[in-house]
Amino acid sequence: MLADATILFQIAGIGIIVALIHTILKQMGKEEIAQFATLVGFIIVLVIVVNGLSDLFQQIKSVFLFQG
Amino acid sequence: MKWLGAFLLLCTTTWIGFEWSKKLSDRPKHIRQLINALQILEAEIVYSQLPLQEAFEVIGRQLPKPANLLFAQVAVALQSNTANLTEIWSASVNQWVKLANLDKNEQEILLQFGATLGQHDAVQQTKHIQLALHHLEREMQEARDQHIKYAKLAKSLGVLGGLFIIVLLF
Repeated sequence: MLADATILFQIAGIGIIVALIHTILKQMGKEEIAQFATLVGFIIVLVIVVNGLSDLFQQIKSVFLFQG
Repeated sequence: MKWLGAFLLLCTTTWIGFEWSKKLSDRPKHIRQLINALQILEAEIVYSQLPLQEAFEVIGRQLPKPANLLFAQVAVALQSNTANLTEIWSASVNQWVKLANLDKNEQEILLQFGATLGQHDAVQQTKHIQLALHHLEREMQEARDQHIKYAKLAKSLGVLGGLFIIVLLF
């Protein structure tokens, strides 16, 4: 249960920091790089979430289909 | 242990950001010193009518740290070396540009200026100095704009990048 909380905080932290980087880059007039930074942050969060989901499906499979 | 690693990582990226910002703020300063040097050189040529070697020595004594090295080095090389002034000047400039925070543009301006050194009489020489000064002023304006635009950005990006990597690895 503790690991789940960590992953939530990690994703929240990444979101906050990416938002800050986006704001700063946008203020300095580097719109494209700001977009790119946001995209990279999104992809990283996506990878984390997909990992979590794959864990979840493994759990479901092992519970309902009686497989390892 | 984990916290120590995170702290070290944050320190490193912050330091990189500050170093980048310092580089940006040093460039206009160094160009300003070069402009001062050329103005002193002009004064020495027009009013004191010193030979170039002594004028360079004077500049080398008067200016602050990075700029004076170039002129002191050229003055010393002129004493011992028999190669012509343009070669000595371009060799010294190429060496010195790595030491100071200057761009290709400034290097090119200095090299072109060096090609005119000692070829003309005082009036023509002051015209060439004025031309080089004009180019350097333009470069300094650009460097200043860049400094204003990117110095804060570099610092914040250093800190935020460090935080980002830490959260990613946590």
